[in-house]
Amino acid sequence: MQLTSSISQFETRLREFFHSSVSNTRYSDWETRFQKLALDLFQLQFASNEAYRDLCSARGVNPALVTDWKQIPAAPASAFKELELSCLPAVERTRVFYSSGTTRERPSRHFHNDRSLALYENSAASWFGKTFGLFNAANAEVPTSPFTMIFLTPQPGAVPNSSLAHMFATLNQKWGGGRSHFIGEVSPRGVWTIDFKAATKALEAECAAGRPLFLIGTAFSFVHLLDFFAESDLRFQLPAGSRVMETGGYKGQSRVVPRSELHLLIGERLGVPPSQIVCEYGMCELSSQAYAMALTDADTRSSGRIFDFPPWAKTMIISPETGTEVSEGETGLIRVFDLANVCSVMAVQTEDLGIRHGDGFELVGRAENSEARGCSLMASSLREAL
Amino acid sequence: MILPNYFMADLPPDAELNPTMIREACETIRRNREHYLARRSTQAIIKLLADVGESWRQPEYRFRKLTLEHGPAATGFSSGTLAKGLDTFFKQLTAENMEKLLEQDLGDGRRLEQMAATPAEDKTGRAAIATPPELIAHITAGTLPCATLQSMVLGVLLRSAQFVKCASGASFLPRLFAHSLYDADSKLGACLELAEWRGGNERFESVLFEQADCVTATGSDETLAAIRQRLAGRARLVAYGHRVSFGYVAKGVLSGLHARKIVARAAADVAAWDQLGCLSPHVIYVEEGTEMSAEQFAEGLAGELAERELTEPRGKVPVEIAATIASRRSFYEVRAAHSARSTDTPRTRLWSSPGSTAWTVVFEGDPLFQLSCLHRFIYVKSVNNLSETFHHADVIRGKVSTVGLSAPEEKAQEFATQLARWGVTRVCPLGQMQNPPLAWRHDGRPALANLVRWTDWEI
Repeated sequence: MQLTSSISQFETRLREFFHSSVSNTRYSDWETRFQKLALDLFQLQFASNEAYRDLCSARGVNPALVTDWKQIPAAPASAFKELELSCLPAVERTRVFYSSGTTRERPSRHFHNDRSLALYENSAASWFGKTFGLFNAANAEVPTSPFTMIFLTPQPGAVPNSSLAHMFATLNQKWGGGRSHFIGEVSPRGVWTIDFKAATKALEAECAAGRPLFLIGTAFSFVHLLDFFAESDLRFQLPAGSRVMETGGYKGQSRVVPRSELHLLIGERLGVPPSQIVCEYGMCELSSQAYAMALTDADTRSSGRIFDFPPWAKTMIISPETGTEVSEGETGLIRVFDLANVCSVMAVQTEDLGIRHGDGFELVGRAENSEARGCSLMASSLREAL
Repeated sequence: MILPNYFMADLPPDAELNPTMIREACETIRRNREHYLARRSTQAIIKLLADVGESWRQPEYRFRKLTLEHGPAATGFSSGTLAKGLDTFFKQLTAENMEKLLEQDLGDGRRLEQMAATPAEDKTGRAAIATPPELIAHITAGTLPCATLQSMVLGVLLRSAQFVKCASGASFLPRLFAHSLYDADSKLGACLELAEWRGGNERFESVLFEQADCVTATGSDETLAAIRQRLAGRARLVAYGHRVSFGYVAKGVLSGLHARKIVARAAADVAAWDQLGCLSPHVIYVEEGTEMSAEQFAEGLAGELAERELTEPRGKVPVEIAATIASRRSFYEVRAAHSARSTDTPRTRLWSSPGSTAWTVVFEGDPLFQLSCLHRFIYVKSVNNLSETFHHADVIRGKVSTVGLSAPEEKAQEFATQLARWGVTRVCPLGQMQNPPLAWRHDGRPALANLVRWTDWEI
């Protein structure tokens, strides 16, 4: 009971932090505030998340020994597959998000209740709105006027376990107005597809009306859509001010298109310049997202994009060799400390490689994609057999 | 490292190869072979190879020193690992071993030079002679150099001209070995060519395949299938696919002082060539019911690997490999922490080098075969017996090269036979997995006999 109230007190403090971060009255001492919130959350999670506590104990760490957020033990993202990494008692878990991936793999599971889900929504909308300047200048609670959003994912109701679709639903609710669409579908085998006809129709309507829109989907859904446009010899010139947001990787997909090539194709088929293409980095194990934008239209080096999380989520880039933080400009594994992960684990060690750039990072790739050297395998082909 | 320009692999990195160069090189080495090599005696060749092998084991030998000095940067192996690998390989290259190989594979050591009969053939009025290929093309794979050196040795024994196509970035040691042969006998060296390019280059390889009358190839199933298709029966193909290996420790060997030795042997197999070869173990299975449990074995193995790190450190790995190792370690760290408290996860423990990814030992109660991410990352799993192991390793059946076996003497033959029937092509003592004898039947096929053409003579 006491713990629940502590968590709800924490949530209140966190909401204030969100609000201040996205409004113009940003705290001057937000580093100190982040520190305090992080250490308090670690204490709460250590007390109420049994699986996480075991992991900390195995490393000989407890809240009394931790004096800086960087020392908070990170749970590997794979632990979300293996364990129920949650502060919520089983009966309170009203929603669970699964990671995408190959069907053979066990997915990660991130449990939520109504309150933690609301916090997730708050985090997602706040940083999205701040990043794209979509809040009223005078009041950061108030969104700007709605615009059309076209999502290449299925209706959130059709994929209740997708954190991505839920995030999109949140954005839609806040900014989508009446004309927004989800044009993805789910096949009976659970594969996400796109209703190409609906996509074409929606884009044609917006182009005809000259209304700038936001086209949002996974990188792979864009590959599908652009393939279709190429086959049908369709080209669009999306109205000026339109944006494209691509998110996520290609886990379990047969065809991988390098990001720079994808962005060129987007320019070619949709008439959207690089400066209007946004990359998103998020995962079901987190409750906040990072965005990366090209600085200019001439900036076609999509590899040079720097991802930034909101002020309530910080990253460290960790040398996989030594386990310590790398220096500026060096490559390592991305570790995220996401305060919005209130009811699971704040510190998450991903398997993604990034280059450290100030408080942000440049995304390099994924650890598990690295092929084994030498003749001993065949990792992929034998994994297929397994 | 400055070496004379004898081979294409000696050219500066920016030098571009072209199909004409490759054709001309093939014609040259074929011609040189005809003039300088084809008619040499087997005995002379064996002596030459044995002398070169002996030289490589001398600390002051120029090519050995070059290997140890420049090898770490060029190959990613530490000089300790390279030194160990060189010693192990060249120890095998003796006159006696080569004579035995000829006798084993050809039935009679004289058969490369004259018609000869085994006693059985003699009784039935027959004899035979083996004709070697004029030009062998080796398509080698990966970074493990010994397999390439072994192929080159076989080619020299046969007195064939040889074109060694190395995988990109993998020519370092084959090149030094070729130079050492050239140094010992420049005419023999003039029958060798070495080049490095990215596999699958059809322009280059189609020329090579036209010229060669025998091709040896190591690679993935897809690579081999592509080569087979492109050869279209023109040249004989000796193909080696990817294989995996594991260790097996049977009941009754882990007692007293002996236990420590067995553990050390397992560590030698993990450390050799940083575990990167087909013959390196992914998993060590330990039978339960002895004085030392599989879990204790794993703990001992971690200690041994830590010690080896002092003398034969694991080579430096790129950040992607380190990330794979780190991520996999984290996974087992979580499992270990969880299994300590809960029975719904099989017992798991993890030992790893502090502050580096140099070595990792994972003990898992779950006996299912696991592919290691290598670079000295080893699983130890407990099993009750061999048939249970077969069940858990079914996924790799038919793909297993070597089993490093440690079993009581009176039971070893039975184990070896069972492993053979299940499909394993080589059973050796634990500790010798990366040390196949010169005469070993690679992937279950004879080494020399596969390369030659036989002519039977019914007298």
